[in-house]
Amino acid sequence: MAKKETFICIGCPLGCEVTLTIDEKGKILGFAGNKCKEGEKYVFEEYTNPVRILTATVLTQNSAQPLLAVRTSKPILKTMLAQGAAVLARTKVKPPVRVGDIIVPNLLDTGVDVVASANLSS
Amino acid sequence: MKLQDIDVAVIGAGPAGMAAAIRAREAGAENVIIMERAEELGGLLHQCVHNGFGLLYFNEDLTGPEYGNRFIEKVMDTGVKPLLETMVVKLTEDRQIGAVNAKEGFITFRPKSVVLAMGCRERSRGALNIPGSRPSGVLTAGTAQRFVNVEGFLPGKRIVILGSGDIGMIMARRLTLEGAKVEAVVEILPYIGGLIRNEVQCLHDFDIPLYLQHTVTQIHGEERVTAVTIAKVDADRNPVPGTQRKIQCDSLLLSAGLIPENELSLMAGIRLDPVTGGAVVDETRQTNIAGVFAGGNVLHVHDLVDNVSWESELAGESAAKFAMERDLGEKGTINLKAGTNIRYIVPQTISGQRDTTLYMRVNEPQENVRIKIGDIMTKTVRAVKPSEMIKIELSSEKLQKVNKETKEIIVSCEKRGGK
Ligand code: SF4
Repeated sequence: MAKKETFICIGCPLGCEVTLTIDEKGKILGFAGNKCKEGEKYVFEEYTNPVRILTATVLTQNSAQPLLAVRTSKPILKTMLAQGAAVLARTKVKPPVRVGDIIVPNLLDTGVDVVASANLSS
Repeated sequence: MKLQDIDVAVIGAGPAGMAAAIRAREAGAENVIIMERAEELGGLLHQCVHNGFGLLYFNEDLTGPEYGNRFIEKVMDTGVKPLLETMVVKLTEDRQIGAVNAKEGFITFRPKSVVLAMGCRERSRGALNIPGSRPSGVLTAGTAQRFVNVEGFLPGKRIVILGSGDIGMIMARRLTLEGAKVEAVVEILPYIGGLIRNEVQCLHDFDIPLYLQHTVTQIHGEERVTAVTIAKVDADRNPVPGTQRKIQCDSLLLSAGLIPENELSLMAGIRLDPVTGGAVVDETRQTNIAGVFAGGNVLHVHDLVDNVSWESELAGESAAKFAMERDLGEKGTINLKAGTNIRYIVPQTISGQRDTTLYMRVNEPQENVRIKIGDIMTKTVRAVKPSEMIKIELSSEKLQKVNKETKEIIVSCEKRGGK
């Protein structure tokens, strides 16, 4: 039995609703609804490897600023976002921190670091 | 630097003000100051911890603080002088600035040119007119953003968001990841108010329900919000009887549009465009007052910060030139008029002598269109939406087609025929 899954392409303001047909082994059989080739590329990525940058804040110690903004240095699988956020909710940092400093190395074994988005002084 | 010697004074140190000040220095203005009421440079970028900034400007996917930081460093490197915790309270039609701060009290001076970069503010509940009591727990999406991202507490645990502007959708994701439950995003229009990537990455990714053509008809609760009633609306945006449903929640976030902050401009007698809420400018971003320029969200609300930076650089460059030469050459004498399905065009006037980028927005979503700039040029576009700004480059070569007598060029967005 072939399965169908729909995606909204974010390639342009049109936002085509693209329907993907997938066979029982998960192989892509076809695309429908995309008004240009970009849509196929986007949906292929979203189906095989949907990734996002995780952004959050972490608590600080010894700083007048209660929070520090952080991000993953590269996108991670979107299914990991909630777990990643939970790790960051337990993370604390102390000044000084500079933009780009590693806050959590290798987040949840993704191979991606969480880095500071901002500076932190005491 | 003495106050009497200031060439360019920039009001506001958000992305617009920083870009304008940096460019004014780079363009040769000697004494450039940037006046900011907060205690640091960067404006709202500090609280926008999400990514999606700089994709066009830096070709990188940056967060708000990272984007801001690059400009803050450049402000320092280029020798712009920041005047922090200083609030500009007065601007006159002959470019006198009055400001207050704790150190010097009231200061007043007359720079050679001024750049308005005050940004915008959120439409608040008063402007929205929702019936019901006045319990706590009703706040704008931007205020919630400051609570969560800067001050470090959640405004609530069960949240309804009214309006699908970008900040609202971004806060839906942020609050979800921080452990709150976003029960619904409610939008009165048949389409979202923000960017499509935010609908997908902030709402769909987290299965947050989006109710299009719905609105909040009542807020329940005495001390604190306990629920809201939402209802479907008809084509005239009136609630349809019998479609009400009550959603339990403890907070209602408002994300229903932004308004350019132009009190100072009005005080100085700057002419505003009733549609954009910002000043009427020509392609140098000069307002009707000689030597006063504007750029960024104070001029018109942008969808991307990258465009804010570019536009403000233009304003900064013009301000520097005015400060040094007292003259910018040809003035904007040709009016750009919004035709079919065009809501506004910035700049509103052009001289026809320089390369110009036109920024515009449409009234209604439309597919397969041709945007016509009078009979000078046309551009075909696959789709247009009110939430996404359209940018069209108009070269001075193309403008040579314009007859010297021309007073008005109509810009329109029309369906492409023959299909
Ligand atoms: S498929 Fe093509 S036309 Fe449709 S939204 Fe994506 S980029 Fe735009």
